[in-house]
Amino acid sequence: MNEMNDPGAGLSRRSLLKAVGTSVGTIAMLPVLSDEGVLAFEALQRTKAAPKLKALTPAQYATVDALTEAIIPTDAHSPGARAARVADYIDLLLSESDAALQAAWTSGLAALDAAAVAAHKVPFVKLQAAQVEALLTAISANEAQPTTPVEQFFRSAKDATIRGYYTSEIGIQQDLQYKGNQYLPEFVGCLTEDGKDCPHCGQKAQAKA
Amino acid sequence: MHMHDLQPSAPVTPGKEPFDAIVVGSGAAGGMAAFQLAQAGIKVLLLEAGRMLDPQKEYKTMEWPYKDLRRHRLPVGEFALQAAEYRTLDRPYGLTPEMQKYKKVMAYSGNHFTKDWIVNEKEHPITGTPYAWVRARVLGGKTNLWGRVSLRFSDLDLKAKSHDGFGEDWPISYADISPYYDTVDTLLGITGTKEGIPHLPDGLFQRPLKLNCGEVQVQRAIAKMGRKLIAGRAGVTTDGVLNNKYRARCMGRGRCGRGCDLNAAFHSPAALIFPARDTGNLVVRTDSVVSEVLVDDRTNKATGVRVIDKNTKEVMDFRGRIVILAASCLESTRLLLNSKSATRANGTANSSGVVGHYFCEHVMGPGASGILPSRVGTAPTNDDGRPQSTYIVRFRNVTDKHPDFIRGYGFQGASGAAEFPANAAETPGFGAAFKKTVRANYPARVNYGGFGEVLARKENRVFLDPEVKDAWGIPVLKFDYTFSDNEKKMAADMADTAEEMLRAAGATDIVVRRNILTEGWSIHEMGTARMGTDPKTSVTNSFGQTHDIRNLFVVDGSIFVSASCQNPTWMIMALCWRAMDYVKEQMRTGNL
Repeated sequence: MNEMNDPGAGLSRRSLLKAVGTSVGTIAMLPVLSDEGVLAFEALQRTKAAPKLKALTPAQYATVDALTEAIIPTDAHSPGARAARVADYIDLLLSESDAALQAAWTSGLAALDAAAVAAHKVPFVKLQAAQVEALLTAISANEAQPTTPVEQFFRSAKDATIRGYYTSEIGIQQDLQYKGNQYLPEFVGCLTEDGKDCPHCGQKAQAKA
Repeated sequence: MHMHDLQPSAPVTPGKEPFDAIVVGSGAAGGMAAFQLAQAGIKVLLLEAGRMLDPQKEYKTMEWPYKDLRRHRLPVGEFALQAAEYRTLDRPYGLTPEMQKYKKVMAYSGNHFTKDWIVNEKEHPITGTPYAWVRARVLGGKTNLWGRVSLRFSDLDLKAKSHDGFGEDWPISYADISPYYDTVDTLLGITGTKEGIPHLPDGLFQRPLKLNCGEVQVQRAIAKMGRKLIAGRAGVTTDGVLNNKYRARCMGRGRCGRGCDLNAAFHSPAALIFPARDTGNLVVRTDSVVSEVLVDDRTNKATGVRVIDKNTKEVMDFRGRIVILAASCLESTRLLLNSKSATRANGTANSSGVVGHYFCEHVMGPGASGILPSRVGTAPTNDDGRPQSTYIVRFRNVTDKHPDFIRGYGFQGASGAAEFPANAAETPGFGAAFKKTVRANYPARVNYGGFGEVLARKENRVFLDPEVKDAWGIPVLKFDYTFSDNEKKMAADMADTAEEMLRAAGATDIVVRRNILTEGWSIHEMGTARMGTDPKTSVTNSFGQTHDIRNLFVVDGSIFVSASCQNPTWMIMALCWRAMDYVKEQMRTGNL
């Protein structure tokens, strides 16, 4: 992962290093929850209640919610980030992060709104779908090497959205239709392993060398 | 299933002695030593520095991330060092200003599932050159979280000096150890396929793990390059074992590294220690930090060990007829170095001066990932339910001679879907197209990473830090260890060949990893008390018996002469079984 993948403004080198992560592919370097935070989050998820915000203001929450849904939307296949309550996850995680990272998100959200206003004269949450598409297309163009604050914020928010969504029940079960973590007496591999032509991949059986 | 009476009514105290044997450490080596001796009717005291473990409670094998609302992140106040920290923090890692806000700082393998097993760097500091030293202090040690890859060493490894001139040959050949590999295979269960590869000998395999469609594609592509991709060989029973009531066969659930609550994966507690206790010949004392081996310098015999109770810090001496160190490569080494007297000024069993030297392991990091177009958009299959996926067998310096480096490397890797979509972070964009691409590529990702032999060089060493001590007052290890030019050139070749093979398999979106991970990342420490025939250049004989003190044995990875590129656990257990057969015979004939 690139060192610049996190919002740079106000971040110490220490926080940046923390954000960089490792080669094992971890992403979305958000801090962890206290037991209290976990319980609060659990209650939210269980009751589908309105969020009791801990870090974000209601306006910031609405922006995060809209942004995460724009990154991973509901489609014909499965519900998206809003249904998976990714914004709740981000709020609760941010609530226990250090001040520098909170500030980075605050300024990042402000930068996103500023970009929306500059392009379309309304804040992000008020954008039409086509406007969201145009704005995010512009600010994600450099996502591999983000430079401006809003580009860096997008990368960070995207990483957090990926983490929150693909660890959710909706993400794992409904979207990815993950097949593991169950009792299976035998692993079904490529049928060429059983000496047959494989209908799944079209590879033909061949004599083992 | 009731595991055992896991909490003894009161920990054993000195007075019941002498035990026939004292075993220090309860991982792969200590578990095997205790099992072999207890089965033979020998009274064993097993000392574990960590606490007792109840596998049924602590192995959270099937927990979904969304059932843990931290999504499996560490709780506040706990932190696992990442590659960035190892590169930038001074040692001791846990005591730097950056780490002050955490109550517990762990090696990189600390996670939601392992955090109560991995030691706190604040209590267990290390100094010197950077090293990611993963230590698990709990019954069973690192076998609770190990990677399960179980590969035999061959004469290409054991006689490597004869092959290329570097280092030393082992004092044994494959013919000496092969019968013990067979018995370890039978006792514990191992999955694999017979391949007839001379430098990666076959074992007595149970039901193999099949390749999936993507892996067959890679296999066939690289076969044209003369390279072999084979089904993973894992220390996991896929058919079950008849000899152990604590274990069941693999049910393809995956998540083995959290601890397998069926104990299909080999974990020392259920596979070795509980059955050993059932013989009535084994006493397990946990929370027992061994600080030194006690030696009678008049008779030149080990008399026992000194224990510091982990919790009360009470110091007590246990006596035994023989002492067997199985505390892990570097911990056994530290123990030898810390066991000093006027006549053993540089440690016990160290008249050669080589204890701590010839430190070797596996270099890792380089590799490549990509997307197999033929698998894009296909229905996900259960790919990460296998306890291991596939292995690409060493192809360098086997019959040819590479111009840049000696020795070789193998690759571990897989194609297909895992619970978390690793391809998501690599997928550009956002919105419906992003989501669809992540989903479509989810079954199509392929990834391989290399494990390469680090040469056993005398200058790579650990020694006791003259000043820094751990929380029990025991001097800590100072590392003086770096990768040599040979490892760096090998690592560069690993990245090149990984890319080349994925290209040959038709992968797209290839991401090549060229960086070498921090020293220690492989968790395969070896060589610091190496075996040999010459007491001037080695510490033990081929049975782990120290040249200097005949009733003191070392049976973990420290006695390896060279690292090979194969994962060491199965070799540790085969060597240990062989050593214990020797011990039994020596005890029977009155030589010990």
